[in-house]
Amino acid sequence: MAIDNLDAATLIRRIAAGDRAALAQLFGAEAGRLVAIARRIVRRQDLAEEVVQDAFVAVWQRAGQFDASRGSAMAWLTTIVRNRALNLLRDSSCTDYHDGETLAALGDRNADVTNAFDALAERDALKACLGGLDEVKRRAILLCYVTGLNHGEVAATLNAPLGTVKAWIRRGTIALQECLS
Amino acid sequence: MTREDKLALAGDYVLGLLDDAEHRAFEQQAATDPELAAMATDFSERMLALDNTVTPAAFDPGLWARIERKLDTDAASNVTVLRPARRGMAQTRQWLPLAASVVVALGVGYFAGLALHPVEKPTVVAILLNQTDASPAVIVEAFADDSVRLMPLEAFAAPDGQVLQVWTLPDADTGPISLGTLQAAQDLRLTGPDLPLPQSGQLYEITLEPAPGSPTGKPTGPILVKGFAKTLVP
Repeated sequence: MAIDNLDAATLIRRIAAGDRAALAQLFGAEAGRLVAIARRIVRRQDLAEEVVQDAFVAVWQRAGQFDASRGSAMAWLTTIVRNRALNLLRDSSCTDYHDGETLAALGDRNADVTNAFDALAERDALKACLGGLDEVKRRAILLCYVTGLNHGEVAATLNAPLGTVKAWIRRGTIALQECLS
Repeated sequence: MTREDKLALAGDYVLGLLDDAEHRAFEQQAATDPELAAMATDFSERMLALDNTVTPAAFDPGLWARIERKLDTDAASNVTVLRPARRGMAQTRQWLPLAASVVVALGVGYFAGLALHPVEKPTVVAILLNQTDASPAVIVEAFADDSVRLMPLEAFAAPDGQVLQVWTLPDADTGPISLGTLQAAQDLRLTGPDLPLPQSGQLYEITLEPAPGSPTGKPTGPILVKGFAKTLVP
């Protein structure tokens, strides 16, 4: 069952007051989506579930820090999950690009990136603005955001020099934010 | 930092490209730079649409139970885990001269309503730190009449069959003196035994002890919170 930002904000305020039932309700509404988001980054179902488990413990402890004036409830919740997933990915970063399995996983990341971009609503300005970027800049940005790669991993994936990838991402994110604002 | 630099930094932040140190530096900078903070917030709200393209995944039906177990363990550990460095009074095992009066002190400790003590200046104040994460947990005000006021900053309680016991160490030769016991941290005033005036640097701590109080008259359980007193600036 989907909930909107207002519902989520209400639940988070109840969680901050120590209401375990509100945490259960937020979990029931959002866990499937959050597991899927984490899985695009950590690539394994068990790790994605671990991320979501840790994230809900963090939500329980930090709900009092949520400030609706500094962003939506969904962004707050999703950011907690994204950061946990990224930390897990970085901590276990033993990425070896000569490994066959890893190459397959990189192929999957590319597919996830394409699917995520295609699935954006046509009327979403993000789709138009991402679509307005050069293909390599768009792909570099999406590989980072959607699948959690860092500069070096993007460089290996796109077979481009690290400095070039850094410049793409810098110019790409600046252009993207200018376009969105 | 130019506007473009800020956009690029906000971009790296939202894309997850900052390492731990850079992440912390960003958050410090954003705390004092509303323009940078707004850039990051706006960009992350827009990029959320990409997260929302996922199809919700199936997951282990036991996941919620695992989360609940973790919360329950954490809640219990707020009181009982804390296997801290037992420094301070535990290392200063020189209790002999006062062993007898400590036993008496346990009996003497009692709780009195705050109303009995209107505004009155404490002689010293100590902030007791949670020994798990060093966060401030209890403020202690110690008064010239041998009483102390506890003001908890975080909730903690003793499990069944145990008590929280409040101690002070007037000096190493005297050893730890019990100021009283309680079940849960709460704003209250304890009156301890007759002691010298509290000094700056005097140690205060709360340990977890078997009910109705430490069997030996000195701290035996884990230290939950502790801190050193300071005199108020006149």
